[in-house]
Amino acid sequence: SQSHSPTPGAPTWPRPPQPPLHCGYNLPSMQCLLPPSLCVSIADPAVISPQDPTLLIGSSLVATCTVSPDFHLGAEDLYWTLNGRRLPAASYATLGPTTLSVALAHLNGSKQQSGDNLVCHSRDGGILAGSCLYVGLPPEKPVNISCWSKNMKDLTCKWAPGTEGETFLHTNYTLKYKLRWYGRDNTCQEYHTAGPYSCHIPKDLALFTPYEIWVEASNRLGVAVSDVVMLDILDVVTTDPPPDVHVSRVGDLEDQLSVRWSSPPALKDFLFQAKYQIQYRVEDSSEWKVVDDVGNQTSCRLAGLRPGTVYFVQVRCNPFGIYGSKKAGIWSDWSIPTAASTPRSERAAGGCDPKGGEQNTTLRRELKQFFGWVKKHAYGCSNLGIKLYDQWRVWLQKSHKARNQVGKEPFTLLSLPWGGQWGAGGGLCGARTRWLRGAPFISAGASRR
Amino acid sequence: MLNVAGELSGDSWGIFTFLCAALCNLPALPALNCTEELGPGHSIQKTYDLTRYLEHQLRTLAGTYLNYLGPPFNEPDFNPPRLARAERVPSATVDLELWRGLTDNARLAANYRAYSRVLCSLRALDAQGTAELRHRLGHFCSSLQGLVLSIAGVMSSLGYPLPAGPPAQPPAQAGAAATNDFLKKMDDFWLLKELQTWLWRSAKDFNRLKKKVPPAVVTLRMEARGF
Repeated sequence: SQSHSPTPGAPTWPRPPQPPLHCGYNLPSMQCLLPPSLCVSIADPAVISPQDPTLLIGSSLVATCTVSPDFHLGAEDLYWTLNGRRLPAASYATLGPTTLSVALAHLNGSKQQSGDNLVCHSRDGGILAGSCLYVGLPPEKPVNISCWSKNMKDLTCKWAPGTEGETFLHTNYTLKYKLRWYGRDNTCQEYHTAGPYSCHIPKDLALFTPYEIWVEASNRLGVAVSDVVMLDILDVVTTDPPPDVHVSRVGDLEDQLSVRWSSPPALKDFLFQAKYQIQYRVEDSSEWKVVDDVGNQTSCRLAGLRPGTVYFVQVRCNPFGIYGSKKAGIWSDWSIPTAASTPRSERAAGGCDPKGGEQNTTLRRELKQFFGWVKKHAYGCSNLGIKLYDQWRVWLQKSHKARNQVGKEPFTLLSLPWGGQWGAGGGLCGARTRWLRGAPFISAGASRR
Repeated sequence: MLNVAGELSGDSWGIFTFLCAALCNLPALPALNCTEELGPGHSIQKTYDLTRYLEHQLRTLAGTYLNYLGPPFNEPDFNPPRLARAERVPSATVDLELWRGLTDNARLAANYRAYSRVLCSLRALDAQGTAELRHRLGHFCSSLQGLVLSIAGVMSSLGYPLPAGPPAQPPAQAGAAATNDFLKKMDDFWLLKELQTWLWRSAKDFNRLKKKVPPAVVTLRMEARGF
């Protein structure tokens, strides 16, 4: 027979070896295989009391299991399990010939929200009856209600459950709202639109009159009501991100980019005082730089950028002061990132000048060969190598940029930042220094230690 | 017979008359839809594939749901008594000879009925579980709906009528419906187990049907209009 490889936590499903003994009524006759005399209509084998109780954490419970007389079992043939684990016989008590009780003390919160499974078994392990225990705490007041309206058309609210959340029991949340000076309570219907603790009110919202909003949490043990939040729809307006974001170069300027966008269409006619924000980052960084003081223009120029770099740019909008509201609205989402690159600088050292590149490759090759030779034949030159040469070139670039040593020797061997390395090597490669002085890439001013 | 004065010979007139009569009566005839579709063989294959897919999906769904019910329901060898109560779904288990002897119509109808009932019962399942559970359940029901429609498609392409009406509710017996939460958990367990058995069986059912119906056939579908 086929066997399924078990996934963790999932039961394996053995093929049913033979047809189960049951009577199908309301089935096509071909499926009711057994003659009626062999099918016995079985009443519930046993009854547990209390059946499906709800209890506070820490409380105690005495449950009884009474076997039906049809089953010819006595109290001594019974045992209990809770969530699959056998309960100790010490906690049992025989209350009658067919009744066995069990005492449970200091109950912990239910292991699963469908209830803990307290089961009465016959000696051979068969299940006679079961009762689901719901052990938990009453709900806590929901907190942190916050709402926003998209383009003044709807209202979405979210909240947080009190403490860590569901108190072992399934908790139902209901968001209610009413206009401040009108009587009727309304109930929000569309839940989970913005996360598990959220609700969406799609229509029939009034402007200019504040709303009172609250959340009720209820479970089997009670109800808790949050504090009432009062808000005016116009104070919590948000809108779509600005569309048509374009980022382009500013002529040949290598450190600037120009950003343009459109006003979000849904509120286009009302956004006289909209505020915008831009954020940008370099391609391979995760750090965004934010430009705050964009005002209500729909264009902006970014300056102080790196040449020859790809930038990602996003814009968002705040419908500030809509309909004369004195408050800021809520920032929209960021627009989808737009990419653009600054022009590459011509003057940067080590630029992509092909002629220079060729020279560099030949030079590097020669240098590598040279250093290899030096290592073999000179003593104490272990630090000398192509890496050192590269470090020198980087340093050279930096000092060229600083441009404050025009006319001076760009370096001396002693002023090199890694002078210590040389020192550790016991001086500049011993007696060969004189030879080095004459090498073409070291300026004539190289002094010896 | 039309009596038209003219020069046509008797035979030609006969043919012409017949054609006229035929044309006049055409709207009342069954419309012949000659479709070059791939035919029932292809639908059977698709239905078979769907049962295998659902079988795979059920493993994950069952795992999640049984974990929600908690131990001992999610233990591998859990086998509670199956009390004689109103079964929500006709049993898939059937005598081998009986199964072999099923007509194509009966075979398909049994599948159709079973999955329609399962769909009803699954939709009424405890919706109190976690969001993940509700999501999986919703997704599975959509796929199961697809299977029911696929079976209906096979039946209609073979010319069989669909089993009548929405699934009838089992006759209410005293204490037939789950009267307490624990019994309801057991019912849910058996529902999932029976569904698993049905999917195993359907694979065999559709395999058998595949062999009887050629795969790619140009079929003339007779749609009876006004009959």
